[in-house]
Amino acid sequence: MLTLDVRNINKKYPSFELKDVSFQLEKGYIMGFIGVNGAGKTTTIKSILNMTHIDSGEVHILGRSMAEHELELKQEIGFAFGGIDFYTRSKMKTLTETIKKFYRNWNDETYYHYLRRFKLDENKKIADLSTGMKVKYSLALALSHGAKLLVLDEPTSGLDPASRDDLLDIFQELIVDGEVSILFSTHITSDLEKCADFITFISGGQIIRSCEKEEFKASYLLLNGTARELDRVKDRLISYKTNSFGFTGLIHASDFDSSYGIKAATPSLEEILIFFTKKEEVHV
Amino acid sequence: MYNLVMKDIKLGVHPLFFAMPLLTGALMLIPGWIYFIVLLYFCWITVPNMFNQFRSQNDLMFTSMMPVTKRDIVRARVTVVAGLELLHIGIAMVFGLVTLRIYPNFDYYFFPPNLGFWGLCFVMLAIFNLIFIPMYYKTAYKIGAAILYSITAAMLFAGVVQWIGIQSPVLSGIFYGTDANSRVIQTCILIAGIAIFFALTAIAYRIGVKRFLQVEIQ
Repeated sequence: MLTLDVRNINKKYPSFELKDVSFQLEKGYIMGFIGVNGAGKTTTIKSILNMTHIDSGEVHILGRSMAEHELELKQEIGFAFGGIDFYTRSKMKTLTETIKKFYRNWNDETYYHYLRRFKLDENKKIADLSTGMKVKYSLALALSHGAKLLVLDEPTSGLDPASRDDLLDIFQELIVDGEVSILFSTHITSDLEKCADFITFISGGQIIRSCEKEEFKASYLLLNGTARELDRVKDRLISYKTNSFGFTGLIHASDFDSSYGIKAATPSLEEILIFFTKKEEVHV
Repeated sequence: MYNLVMKDIKLGVHPLFFAMPLLTGALMLIPGWIYFIVLLYFCWITVPNMFNQFRSQNDLMFTSMMPVTKRDIVRARVTVVAGLELLHIGIAMVFGLVTLRIYPNFDYYFFPPNLGFWGLCFVMLAIFNLIFIPMYYKTAYKIGAAILYSITAAMLFAGVVQWIGIQSPVLSGIFYGTDANSRVIQTCILIAGIAIFFALTAIAYRIGVKRFLQVEIQ
């Protein structure tokens, strides 16, 4: 069953455009939504959540149209926007007391369970929480109202490696029972190497590819060769960098012929991200 | 809607602004003052501070993430603003009664705090709402121009009616008179003022909703 089904979203701004954005997230999985800053991750997320007016396209969550059932669906969606704080001078307790009234499935027991699990003191003010704790607090809120889909925009940005790792463990714990799905945007690709099941890659407002993580990585190859070898594959490369030893470049696996004799390896998500961005810069 | 109003009251509006009606209302005890100013303090101090607080605490995004309609978001905010206005005017009226008691024979140059004057105050706040709310909801976060135009309009209204009240013998008779006939007319002005306040605030709410539906949440 699909938890999130995004179909052909188009949205035009004066200086930026989302073009035909489509991807699907199955129930019980983590999808990493990657792209460099300004690629369209947050705009896509805001379009999913009906915060912007899309020019065309559809969003279905848990089988229902977001445009038609926004209120009911928001009961089942949890959010965390990294880097955006709300009512920082209020205590967590005050904020929770206010927020919980909006959710019909709110469960105090679950809430206190997660506060203990995340070691959060509800008498602390939001301003006194570390970046990681703020994300954990958002998760505790989302899980306490029974959210089935967690939409997390850059939740790990600004976190130290230990806190990031801790948070990634939590994400994986949350999907174990198969009820919760997570859409997790980031430009820190190493996080996704650790925890994502699916990858959706956006660049310049367009989805480049959306599929299972290993399949995603296997669909590209990272080539390392000499300057002479570069001439043979240059036209087929997505983009490349030259150095004193030769070149490093990214190619679609289907475009590569092993008879070239060029050293090829499976790229990391970061390398894919970097070479696609480089391609865009060349075209600009 | 109720939850949204409570959210604004608990998180967005500083408790000081619930004490402000008492503080500004006490200014009614100054004999012969321009009493319009007492209510204008709400527009000058409470509104800008309150809305700046909403903006600095990212209230728009915070609220938009919750299961609420955009219509209810506007309705709740207008309810909070109008509620505070009624609190200001209600408490000022009580202080006004005290003023009339403790200075019974005062010779007023500016409007005395009688029912007719309060009717004009309701109209002044109605004008403020009619301009402020629709202008604010063009963006739902920029308040500068909305505040400037709405306060200017409210002050112009107050200044002009006060000037006419002094210059025109007919209006002077109505607003400064203490005879039974004048009191009846003053009561009618108050009722009309209240009706205008609710009507214009309702119109402001409708325009606000229409505009807010077009706003993209930043």
